[in-house]
Amino acid sequence: MQRTEIQKQILAILEDLFEFENPGLNDNLRDDHGFDSIDAIELLGEIEKILGFSLTRAEKEKAMTIRTINDILDYIEVVASEHNQ
Amino acid sequence: MERRVVITECSAITPIGYAKDDIIKSLQEGISGVKPLRDDGLLTDYIHSRVFGTVDYPIAYDFKRLYRKTMGPVAFYACQVARDILERAGLSQEFISSGRLGVAFSSTHGSPSIQRHIYKTFFSNLKSEFSSIGAVDYLKSMVHTTAVNITRMFGITGRVIASSTACTTSSQSIGFGYEMVKYGMQDAMICGGADEYDTTAVAVFDNLLACSVAYNDKPQCTPRPFDRQRDGLVVGEGAGAVLLEEYESAKKRGANILAEVIGFACNNNGGDLILPNIDGITTTLELALVEAGIEASEVDFVSAHATATKMGDVIESQAIAAVYGDSPLITGLKSYMGHTMGACGAIELILTIYMMEKGFIAPTLNLDNVDERCAMINHTRELTAADTRIAAIQNFAFGGVNTCLLIKNGQGGA
Repeated sequence: MQRTEIQKQILAILEDLFEFENPGLNDNLRDDHGFDSIDAIELLGEIEKILGFSLTRAEKEKAMTIRTINDILDYIEVVASEHNQ
Repeated sequence: MERRVVITECSAITPIGYAKDDIIKSLQEGISGVKPLRDDGLLTDYIHSRVFGTVDYPIAYDFKRLYRKTMGPVAFYACQVARDILERAGLSQEFISSGRLGVAFSSTHGSPSIQRHIYKTFFSNLKSEFSSIGAVDYLKSMVHTTAVNITRMFGITGRVIASSTACTTSSQSIGFGYEMVKYGMQDAMICGGADEYDTTAVAVFDNLLACSVAYNDKPQCTPRPFDRQRDGLVVGEGAGAVLLEEYESAKKRGANILAEVIGFACNNNGGDLILPNIDGITTTLELALVEAGIEASEVDFVSAHATATKMGDVIESQAIAAVYGDSPLITGLKSYMGHTMGACGAIELILTIYMMEKGFIAPTLNLDNVDERCAMINHTRELTAADTRIAAIQNFAFGGVNTCLLIKNGQGGA
């Protein structure tokens, strides 16, 4: 999946499900949008749906360093790439 | 340290209305909130009782997602009534977050609809790769979800009490909150209870032959507390919250004192978990009088638990007669809205406050012919003008838990 397509889906999720207003790719998720640990777990569930496979515990723990939407996109690309190897 | 405790705000979502005026109108005009049981797509077809105390009007919650995301339906009810009383009270955020305001609030067992969702997800996706339970499902469904969603929404940092004891859930909340303030552990408490639309509660009571089944085509004619033709309880939904404050500080800030809590008693039958127990109930009523330091003759009105079960009403009548004789007016307020479960104590207390304020006592609805075994007490048979000075609100729960709250009218100075 192309990064632009992933970005489109993630932005739609953040706007529709998480009620982000005018999300910017480098916004700080917590400071700018009140994104917390509960949201992070919920978002991982949505990422699993995009990827089409379940994330391992180790993969989920890696996501805890995510701070921006660009970080989310990087994370999805890396996980997808590793899964396909 | 013993301090006086007053009720300064209250709000209720009930099958007979949300706004105070709507509730009073229903009580004065004999309007029932019992409706046909809504289809849940699961259990409804197997349940014999097809009536439910229904909240069927829209409520504009307007909660931000930050707060909504950890709420099931029961927490929506709870946070709405809690917001009502906090907004009206106008307490400062400094006090709200001072640790001196606590919350005593709960429901019968959290949010059954979220619990159902969890099991549905679990079983339907058992063999799927993607089976998962939402991260917030526990927060939405746990037994103290109402209390902690209230604390989260308003930044309350004081004590949390979440007593889930079925039908005495919210009367315990108010009683335990009263004790918190009376003995100086907190200066104010938000107290109450809520329960959402739930067919599992109907199914459970239905299987115990405790639900009303004879009036499925005439929901407004049931439940019928103390009536010869009563055939059981009607499960309902709703929420009620009261703000308890220490008297001197409430007076100092110019709060409107609705009532004073002057006594609370709670005990257990110490035996059967289902059958009503005359000794346990009688003792509770007597203990409340002792705690309040008043005579039985001083009680003007009793809000009876009166679920309209065959034996429950008889035992309660015997207990009332033994303690109060035939003096106070007795009303079974569940006749208007069914049994709102964890919310019933708070709702019945709030309705009693409304009636005190407006100077009337509503009759027990559907009480056409008093059961001879319940006839020894002073039933309210018609809308009655009354200057109620002291009222008792009594509730009894599965598990053998009994409560009695005694309140004094706040008008004219508590």
